[in-house]
Amino acid sequence: MAAIDIKSARKAYGAVNVLHGVDLAIGDGEFVVLVGPSGCGKSTLLRMIAGLEEITSGEIAIGGRRVNDLQPKDRDIAMVFQSYALYPHMTVAENMSYSLKLRRTPKERIAAAITAAAGKLGLDQLTERRPKALSGGQRQRVAMGRAIVRSPKAFLFDEPLSNLDARLREQMRVEIKRLHKDLGATSIYVTHDQIEAMTLADRIVAMNGGVVQQVGSPLDLYDRPANLFVAGFIGSPAMNMIPATYRLANGTGVAEVAGGHRLPLAGSFPVPDGTAVVIGVRPEHVTVSPPGSGGLRTGVDLVEPTGFGSILHLAPFGQPIKAFSLDRSLGRDGAAVDVTFDPARLHVFAEADGRRMDPAG
Amino acid sequence: MTAFVASRRRPFLQRLADASEPWLYTAPALILIVAVMLVPLVLGVSYAFRDIKLLNPFGGGFVGLKHFEALATDQAFRTALVNTLWWTGASVLIQFVFGLILALLLNQPFRGRAIAQALCFLPWAVPSFLTGLDWAWLFNPVIGPLPHWFVALGLMETPQSILSDPDLAMWGPIAANVWWGIPFFAITLLAALQAIPKDLYEAAAIDGAGPIERFRSITLPFLAPTIAITILLRTVWISNFADLIVVMTNGGPADRTQIVASYIFTTAFRRLDFGYASAIALVLLVLLLAYSMLIVLLRQSLLKRG
Repeated sequence: MAAIDIKSARKAYGAVNVLHGVDLAIGDGEFVVLVGPSGCGKSTLLRMIAGLEEITSGEIAIGGRRVNDLQPKDRDIAMVFQSYALYPHMTVAENMSYSLKLRRTPKERIAAAITAAAGKLGLDQLTERRPKALSGGQRQRVAMGRAIVRSPKAFLFDEPLSNLDARLREQMRVEIKRLHKDLGATSIYVTHDQIEAMTLADRIVAMNGGVVQQVGSPLDLYDRPANLFVAGFIGSPAMNMIPATYRLANGTGVAEVAGGHRLPLAGSFPVPDGTAVVIGVRPEHVTVSPPGSGGLRTGVDLVEPTGFGSILHLAPFGQPIKAFSLDRSLGRDGAAVDVTFDPARLHVFAEADGRRMDPAG
Repeated sequence: MTAFVASRRRPFLQRLADASEPWLYTAPALILIVAVMLVPLVLGVSYAFRDIKLLNPFGGGFVGLKHFEALATDQAFRTALVNTLWWTGASVLIQFVFGLILALLLNQPFRGRAIAQALCFLPWAVPSFLTGLDWAWLFNPVIGPLPHWFVALGLMETPQSILSDPDLAMWGPIAANVWWGIPFFAITLLAALQAIPKDLYEAAAIDGAGPIERFRSITLPFLAPTIAITILLRTVWISNFADLIVVMTNGGPADRTQIVASYIFTTAFRRLDFGYASAIALVLLVLLLAYSMLIVLLRQSLLKRG
């Protein structure tokens, strides 16, 4: 187990920059999730840590030791691949013991490690099978077993659950989380699935276009997204983005949206009156109530029932927004509802650069 | 029920048409196979038991196992059999080793790889007779460079053709055959190499396997079924492959390069004894069949393991 330090790590293929100087300090035993859309550089960063991609410039250190020029095998890390990358001609036990054998670990130690790992992952009965004879979830477990038998300094996961169906993914997610709790090993996990990121991470690193957008705890990213990208990427259904103009009225800020409606904000913002902004509001923070309760009157355009609640498609000021409501009685096509916004729940972003703005004072 | 009764009462011609329908559909293919493959095969096999000499137009009678009895004591045949083993074994082995090395090199990313791949596969497109002539000339001390290079390297005292040296003659056709056959192994092995998932190598690199260990524990197991089938194909092919020998040495000097295939060729088309030639061919066929069965079984067990 060890801390991982990444200092202005850059990756370029010829003239194409895929990673523009990443700085990241990962603590000992921390579970960090790199999340972002495909092509954002998250896998490249992981592969640079693993030693499968060269580091164009910058420095990566594992456990205080610079690893830029070390072979993957000398970095003492283990990696779980999206395709599992199990050796098809070896049995489960052979797959798991391969790295130990190469390191000339004594036979008894190998046997003990395999038994322990197989027990932990529920693979006891399968150690003599070949990967071909296993289900997707079992293969996934073998891939994890192969990583844990070595007790490496860090675990790297490259979209390990992408090839599983939804139910199995949920189950494996929990197992990974439990495993991390048991082993307490430093882990870096790459995914494009924001739910996986939210549920697993101690800290999330949101990336886009080769640039780190925000680093923080899952709830941090959810409650205080640093910019429009993070705001739109984290959370499902996605946050509503409403273009507006910032106005100062009686010392407090309001957002003037299409049709001249004014939404009061939580305070005054350090920008001049008339600045173009984007108001972000999560569907679950759009309060929908029966008509006559006060607020903006609007019609329900479409309902998506999820069972737990309903996603209502509304257009209170001409612009389509989504609201999430637990009250099923409101979820009828064509019904009229009243919509209100809690000023404290409105996120304000500068339209110019997409950066988050916080009220002064 | 009525349908059943009706069908039993159908006229004979109708029933015949129904029964022969599938056969009629397959007839074109069946006729072609019988005419092109089975008839010549049966005819060829029957020659082995008949006295067919072009110089004796009144022959052609059934002679039973006479040809095979003659074969059993034929010293030239025995020499040819040993030469065939030698020729086939050395050719296949060297072709395979160089083909594998070439495939591994071509599987690496480098600039101009597409052109290099195309160039490496070029020898395969050269007609075998032309290859034989080329190499015969290369080994010729008057017009070819090779003997002079051998002298310069100290391998030879005076420039002379290895094709006329009884101890070395076989290496002439083998060299030509290797040059000509490397692309076959390179193409098939390269295709198999490209089918190996890259992340297996990455996983192995992280697990601590060096290049040699990765080759041993990933590349070889993945290539094994392809290696088995290509070696089988090439072995059968090369042991039947008389072109280069006929062109370069014609079996000489003193039968030192005579293989069974070229012996059959000589017996049939020089001595015009088709009956005896067919008998030799039949023995070769049986030997190759036995060998093929062995390799197919080996490949099955490899695939089952994989």
